[in-house]
Amino acid sequence: MSALLSFDNVTSYYGATRILKDFSFEVEKGQCLCVLGRNGVGKTTLMRTIMGLTDRSVGAIRINGSEMSGEPTHVRATHGLGYVPQGRGILSNFTVRENILLGTFARADKASEIPELCLRIFPYLKENLDRRAGLLSGGQKQQLAIARALAVDPQILLLDEPTEGIQPNIVVEIGEILKMLNRELGITLIVTEQHIKVARKLGDAFLMVDNGRVVAQGPMGEMTDQLVERHMTI
Amino acid sequence: MDLSSLLNALILGVSIASIWLIAALGLTIIYGTAGVINMAHGELIMLGAYSSYMLQFHLGLPYLLCLPASFVIVALVGLALERGLIRYLYNRPLDTLLATYGVSLVLMQGVRLIFGSDPKYLAVPEIFQSNVMLGSVSLSAFRIVVVAVTALLVIGLWLLFYKTRYGVQVRAVMQNKEMAASFGINAGRIYMLTFALGAGLAGVAGALFGVLAIVLPTMGASYVVQAFLMVVVGGGSLAGSVVASGVTGELQSVFAFFTNDTFARFIIFVLIVIFLRFRPQGLFAQAGARR
Repeated sequence: MSALLSFDNVTSYYGATRILKDFSFEVEKGQCLCVLGRNGVGKTTLMRTIMGLTDRSVGAIRINGSEMSGEPTHVRATHGLGYVPQGRGILSNFTVRENILLGTFARADKASEIPELCLRIFPYLKENLDRRAGLLSGGQKQQLAIARALAVDPQILLLDEPTEGIQPNIVVEIGEILKMLNRELGITLIVTEQHIKVARKLGDAFLMVDNGRVVAQGPMGEMTDQLVERHMTI
Repeated sequence: MDLSSLLNALILGVSIASIWLIAALGLTIIYGTAGVINMAHGELIMLGAYSSYMLQFHLGLPYLLCLPASFVIVALVGLALERGLIRYLYNRPLDTLLATYGVSLVLMQGVRLIFGSDPKYLAVPEIFQSNVMLGSVSLSAFRIVVVAVTALLVIGLWLLFYKTRYGVQVRAVMQNKEMAASFGINAGRIYMLTFALGAGLAGVAGALFGVLAIVLPTMGASYVVQAFLMVVVGGGSLAGSVVASGVTGELQSVFAFFTNDTFARFIIFVLIVIFLRFRPQGLFAQAGARR
């Protein structure tokens, strides 16, 4: 089975500083890959490197076998990458509706309607389409960020710390939604996560990052407590 | 001062406000969207006036068609300017300031070389040369044309920014360039189109100003100061410039009624300085991150 997304010796820079070093990994279609590691080891930079938002990167990044590392961010988005960034990146001057519509600009089919799926999963958004997004709570903004990424009609959802700073009952809800998207709709997920428990429940493969390098990877079953202790405890 | 003369002053104020506003429209959207301080704005206005002059005297185009034609010509100049120069300087605001100042000098001298320093005049249809009575105010019909064109442009811009996909893209780029790019919006293209649009609006302003005053290579300098004041007071948004121009125009008209036009302008400038001392971000500051 060929990989949906692959990194081949990718090094990514901010200015002259290397943040990711010789990154190699693959994600297969339908997989849920959890990217794990402490704060500041390069998890967010990995997401930003996929989207082409770092200053520079070398090495091959392929999607469906075709090279995309030379493409600017707005072209990469059209390959079906739905990005949910850290801090959610909601445009607070936009209404909920406009935020979701933003996602449709990256669609391959150029449709400009809010996909029905986004509203079915998040009834709160459906009832508040004309509310200013800046007025939403943290959990609601996270729902909106996911809905917006789904509006891309993505092959891959990139979720950077989706449960960060969200009250526990919503963490569970978002976990359930992600699982549903992955298992029932077959959307491939790449999730950075600090909560080991959430990661074990959700992911079927893991990528352990420490100091900008991949230190371990494999099926979720192979993620031992030893690994967690060595690379994640402070 | 009785009520009817105040009313007259207010009606005149609308006309003055429309001149402040149409000078500032193009600058507003360029500054508001791309954060570029376009020092060549006045010369783009001047180019609009000369475009109309050329079309009128060499091709015999009717004046009303000169307005859209000037828009197109100056928009193309803006497009070339953006592609050839500005786009390399987006992350360097001070360099943009100097570069556009240089462009303004080049345009001014270039026009002087081609057309000479003697004034040119735009002809308007006879109907616009008459005076119209509004209540007890006698207003030249052309002033009403200026108000109407300004109003149409503001409505058009509002529809463009709030009702079209292009508008959503522009506002997305203004708020968060990275997120806009992450959802497939080509920010470079948006900046390019917006710059061309802003330049085109300056062109229309020039075609109107060429009738209100004489057409000279140096005519831009006086309008660019006005335009900048409105953009700064308004805070860089379309609504801000509309309100700033409206208030300024009305105040100027009322002050001029009490004193004289020169003194009224003096008071306006003093008031603007005092206003900016207490609200440097302008009337409607934009919450989005400026690049």
